[in-house]
Formats: sequence, C-alpha cells, structure tokens
Amino acid sequence: MQKLTLLKGAVTAMFAFTACASTAIASDITVGVSSDVATMEPNGSGSDSNLSVMANIFDGLLQRNSDGKLIPSLATDWERIDALTWRFTLRQGVKFHNGNDFTVDDVLFTFNRLTNPEISNFVNFGAQIASIEPLAGNPWVIDIKTHQPVAFFSQNLPQIFMMDKESTQDRSPGDVGQNPIGTGAYELAEWIKGSHVALAANEDYWGGAPAMDKVTIRPVTEASTALASIMSGSVDILQDVPVSSIKVIERNKKIDVLKTPARRSIFLGLSNAEGQPGSDVRVREAISIAINEEQIIDKVMFGAASLAAQVPDPATIGYNPDIKRPVFNPSKAKALLKEAGYADGFEITLTGPNDRYIQDEQILAAVAADLAKVGIRVNVAAKPKSIVFKELQENKLEFYLLGWFDGSYDYGRSFDKLVTSVDSEKGTGGWNGAAYSNAKLDKMIRDSAKIIDVAKREKALQALNLASQESFALIPLHYQMDVYAITKNAKFDFKPRPDTWLVFKEVTSK
Amino acid sequence: MWRYVSKRIMQGMVVLFIVSFFGFIIFQFLGDPAIAMAGQYATQAEIEAIRVSLGLDRSIYIQYFNFITNALQGNFGISYVTRLPALELVLQRLPATIELAIAAQVIAIVFGVLLGVLVAAFPRALLSKFSVVGSLFGISLPTFAVGILLILFFAVEFPIFPPFGRGELITLPWGWETGFLTWDGLKHLVLPALTLGLLQLALLFRLTRSGMQEALRSNYIRTARAKGLSRFPILFKHALRNVMIPVITIIGLQFGQLVGFSIVTEKIFQWPGTGNLLLSAIFDNDFPIVSTYIILIATLIVILNTLVDITYAFLNPRIRYD
Repeated sequence: MQKLTLLKGAVTAMFAFTACASTAIASDITVGVSSDVATMEPNGSGSDSNLSVMANIFDGLLQRNSDGKLIPSLATDWERIDALTWRFTLRQGVKFHNGNDFTVDDVLFTFNRLTNPEISNFVNFGAQIASIEPLAGNPWVIDIKTHQPVAFFSQNLPQIFMMDKESTQDRSPGDVGQNPIGTGAYELAEWIKGSHVALAANEDYWGGAPAMDKVTIRPVTEASTALASIMSGSVDILQDVPVSSIKVIERNKKIDVLKTPARRSIFLGLSNAEGQPGSDVRVREAISIAINEEQIIDKVMFGAASLAAQVPDPATIGYNPDIKRPVFNPSKAKALLKEAGYADGFEITLTGPNDRYIQDEQILAAVAADLAKVGIRVNVAAKPKSIVFKELQENKLEFYLLGWFDGSYDYGRSFDKLVTSVDSEKGTGGWNGAAYSNAKLDKMIRDSAKIIDVAKREKALQALNLASQESFALIPLHYQMDVYAITKNAKFDFKPRPDTWLVFKEVTSK
Repeated sequence: MWRYVSKRIMQGMVVLFIVSFFGFIIFQFLGDPAIAMAGQYATQAEIEAIRVSLGLDRSIYIQYFNFITNALQGNFGISYVTRLPALELVLQRLPATIELAIAAQVIAIVFGVLLGVLVAAFPRALLSKFSVVGSLFGISLPTFAVGILLILFFAVEFPIFPPFGRGELITLPWGWETGFLTWDGLKHLVLPALTLGLLQLALLFRLTRSGMQEALRSNYIRTARAKGLSRFPILFKHALRNVMIPVITIIGLQFGQLVGFSIVTEKIFQWPGTGNLLLSAIFDNDFPIVSTYIILIATLIVILNTLVDITYAFLNPRIRYD
C-alpha cells in the first residue's frame, strides 16, 4: 500500500501540469448533473433538469422555498377570489437583465405564449386560462380567470417563468431559446451545448445579490464518468449519484454523500378488464403481497429508496398517513390466487422502461422473480421510455411499471391521469396504461374537483387515495431517493430541494 | 478520369438517398414525440393537435417527401425537445467531433506507423514484443472499456488529465470553436482521442508492420543495403514509401468512421460533439436532430470515400477506373 502511494505521488508529480486541483475561488461552484440542459426557452421544457436551470435565470410569479413551500416571487401576494378567479399583486421595481422593467404586459405576454406548442411545454396549463386582466386603475394587480375551477392553479406557478415581452417578441424562437433574458438571480454567461452552462450573479437582483458569483452546471450522463468527476474533484457537487456508486463514494474520505427522500414513487399498474386476472381484486392483492419490496430496496436500489404504501409522497395534497402498506406474504398470496381460481397461476406481460427510472430494468426483473414464486409467469418487456410511454398512452398494456410525482403537489391532478377511466374527450386516463376502470373512484374524483375549500378538498382526496389503495388500483413499490455527493472541503452550504432543482441563490458561503 | 469522378458523385447521391430513407423509416418504431412535446398533463386531444401540427398523422412517405424537399432547401426543421433549428444544433456540435477524430487520427498515424516500422526493423527488441501483444488488446478491447479504464487510471488514481469535457475553447473567425489552441483544450483531448484512435492505431501498426516485413525482404532493399546505405534512410525513405499506399487508403476510409463512430467515446468522456447529441436525441425522440445527423454524417463519409478513391487514382496511375 505504502509503495503504491509513493508510486502514485511520483507519477503525479512527474507531470508538472497536474490537473485542476480545485483552485476554485470561494464563491465559485461547479455541479455535475445527469441530464443536459435542453433549451433556454424558459417554458419550453417541463423536465425538472431544465426547470432547475431556468429557475436561476428567470422568476415565476411564485416560487417554492427549499422546503417546498409556496412563497412570493414576482407576485408579492395572491389569493383565490372565487372558484374561477385568482388575484395576484405584482412586484414593482423589478428589472430584466437587459434593463427593461417587469410589468403586467410581460405577465400577459408570458401566459399567452403557453398555448403555442412550438415554444411551450405547458400547453395544458395555458389552455386552462380564460382571461387575464389588470384591475381597473391598478396595473400592479391582476385577475386570472380559468375555464374550470383549478384548485392547484397557484401550485403550478413556480414552473411558469416570466419573460420580457419587448425583447422576446422581436427575436426568432432560435435566438430566444439560446439567449435568455430573465429577472433571475443569475444571468447566462456561457452555454456550450453538451458541455456546460455557466451562470454569473445578477448583482442587481431584486432579492439581493446571490452569494455565489459564478456557477457552472455540467452534464455528466455516463455513470462511471459521473463517479470519476466527483472523485477527481472536477465537480463540487454531483447530483443523481448512480446508486451502484454510492458505496464507493462513501468510502472516499474527501466526499460526503447526502441522501434525501425523493418525491417520485415507483408503482405497478394492472388491467382489470373483464377476463383479465386483474379483474379479481384478490389477484391484485396477491400481487401486491407477493413482491418482496424490502429486498428490492436493499439489493436492487442499494438502499437508496424507501417503502411506499401509496402513490403520492407526503408533501402532496391527498397523501393519507393512515394508509398502511400490506405485509409481504407469499403464502397468503398463493392462497388468494387459489381462491380466485388461479391455483396454477397465469401468464402475463410486464412492460416498463429501461432508461427512465433508477434501476428500472432491474426492478422489473426482481418483480418477475418474486411473482414466479407464487406461480405467476411474468414476461418482462423492458423497452426505451420513448416506446413505453407511447404504449402507455394507448392504454392497451396488461401490466406495467411507471414512476410519478406531481409538480403541483396535488394528487387530484395526477389521479385523473393515472387511475381515472380513459376518456379522451374529458382528457382523463392519459397515463392509465392498462385502462383500469373503477366507477366508484371515477365518481369520487369527479366530486372532489368541485370542492373549493382547501381543507375539505384535501379530506376528499385522502379518502379517494384510501379507496384507490383498498381496491389495489395501483400497486406502489417505493419512493426513490435523491443522492448527492459533495466535496468535504466545500466553501459553501448547499441544501437539496424536494423538487431536485438547483436554486443557487439559496446557496450560502461558509 | 472526370467520368469516373462524376460517376462516384452520382453513386454517393444514391447512397445518401437510401440512407436518409431508412433513417426516416426507423422513426416509425421509436415512439411518439408529441407525447413529450405536449407535456406531462396534456390531454389526448392536445397531444393529437400537436401530432397534426407536426404532420406526424400523415403517411410515412408523405412525411419523408416533405422532409427531403425541405432538407434540400437547407431547412431541417425544428428540434422537438429544444425547439431550436436542428441544422444549427448539429453544426454547432460538429467542430468538437471533427477535432476529436483528427486528434485520434494523428495519434493513430504517428504511433501506428512509427511502431510498425520499428517493430519490423527490430523484431527482437522488447518494445516489439510488447507492441505486438498490445496491438491485440487494441483490436479486441471494446471502446467503452478502454475509455473507462483510462479515466480511472489517468484522471482518478493519477490525476494527470481531466476525466471528461472539452476544456477551454477559442473561437476562430468563422465561428469554429477549437480546443487545439489552448493548453487546457489539448489536455482534455488526450484521453478521448487515445480511446477513439486505439483501434485504428492497432490496425495501422499491424498493416505497416506486415508491409514493412515484406518490403525489407525484397531485392531493392537488399541492393540498397549492399550499396552501403545506412539503416534509417532505407527504412523510412525506400521501404516505407512503398508500404504507405495501402496505409493511406485505410487512413482515408477510416477517418469517416472515426467521425461516425465517435458516439461511444463522446458519451464516456462527455464530449460535446455530434455523437452525444445523437444519443440524447434518440433518447428523447427528437427525430429532426436524428435525421439531420444521419444525413450530415453520411454526406461527410461519402465525400471522404470519394476523395480517397480519387486521390488513390492520382497516386497510383497504374490503376484505371472506367
């Protein structure tokens, strides 16, 4: 060992031009992320990896603090006036990076653009808005009316970033998508696509200049390269540490590993069409207790996951603390299958992505192995997400794996996509991959949409969630964990956010 | 000669046409970009509206026809994911890929040919035995394994080179961003270029070695020796010159492949080139990027191969093309 260390020192010293041994200035931070920034069109991508960067350059009317709580941003105050109307008071004296003033015109301009699919990834949100009008005599207060009552309207606003009307309308979409002009705490300094995004502090930020002067965001998509990036000190923080590398990194004395519960849950969906085994609720229960989820978390997820008893995470409105996860019990599962008339089991195809969720393909294999033990012969069809998501939208799968979390923190909205019966006219059941249908649950979700009172609505959604879990509409497996690796000698304090966004104005220097 | 050149160009066009068509057909099996474009909460009707606005509801032949007619006018469409012009996105990434391929090529030529000559001349030297065995590894080790091993060794264990990325760049007057002109850029280039060039280095080494072995046994070399010429002029001036013709052919043909096959290397080293762009585009169903990439790279390879054939004809006038 001693010899090896000596050799190492010698070899390293031989090369006088030794690599970037972090000579970083105190207020300089480099972060490795797992997917590339797609676009600088702030509302052009709803993926969290893109929103994460946009949240530094732009501001929404509202924002979330690092605990996920809704707080003022470009709107200082907001309230729901009636079922259809939301009132916002705009912040005065805010300037865009190009010196233009932020006004009500910019708000109107931003929301109007959302319905154009060529530039917006929030078409559905934009289409909910019926009108936006400034209050008579006060251009700093606006009323936004929606077509239908949307209980979670304000919850979406941290994702909608305000753009400068004057400088945006005259530029081509290609220019707007590469040269962002926002009101945010950082300005874009450089964007080398596929390599890095460099941000520079906006000293005139309305919320005060951020502590970090310079931020570099570097995509590192390959797992082994990501590991090398943090081990070699090329990045100060690595987001989305590959679970298989956690142990290796934990052994390194110069690096801290930080695990926080992620919002995303992983679950299974199963058809209940007539003639399908899943039409018998005993079969659904049997499947849910035949899967040894603790072992999956331990062996497949390397401990970086926690048991899920329901689909929404605790922060979501509709999360019901009373729901208990059924206990793993393969012999009871066998008995249930026998009762349901499947003493010899049955054959079924389990479809899921192999490039979307942490260890997704391995989870599929583990589920198949567990179900084989109770006699269910599972054919695993692991495919790229681009194909699986298309098949899910066609609602013709028998059995599938999906992951989900709701950016609006409202289970009602997710439920409509995941469990409500497929109805393309009403726009429900889009992600209900096996066309599960349950009239009782359909009625409960319809009724809940009419409730305006926040507390009553939450109660209704909790009841809905419980009823759905009692009929095993979806079979939850686990919540993922967000894993970060941070260099120990970092000169800053970084706190991960539940939405996985990297909001650098929250980072303070040590 | 000119008849030959024009014939080659015509053939190239046909190849491009076929390549682009198959490239396009594959999309039918790759999922539906409208789902991602509409956003997670879009309704079925909103997704369908986007499908119609992109023309994805039409038959594949009409889609292909529209694509080709637009492409011939230089319009490759807008990327579905980034919502930026596809051609611009691919062209922005091209310098990185071409510089990586050039660096890999230079490494392969310098070390491959040099070692080939030396090993043929001094077969008993330790270096020779090592090189012959080493070349087997170069040919048989998969690129990703080489890349990962190089990173672990030269960037993590012995931090001599940076593990990934392209380093500091300088923008040349016509917009080409180069990493050749900065120390940092060159340092970033070493590991990925070695990874990409290793296979070709091994091939060139073996090709040069066997050519040299044959040449060194031939009469004119024996004569030169008998006349008292010293060793190195014989090796590099007389023998190598005759060996170089097949070597140059291979180099020309392989350069296109270095550009096209840099995908794995780019992925491992997070190299911001076209290969990396292609991978993320396939991952995200970004068809316009994929088709633009296929057409651009196919064009490049066809042009290179044609040039090689033409140069070959000039270099070796004994060869006739009719």
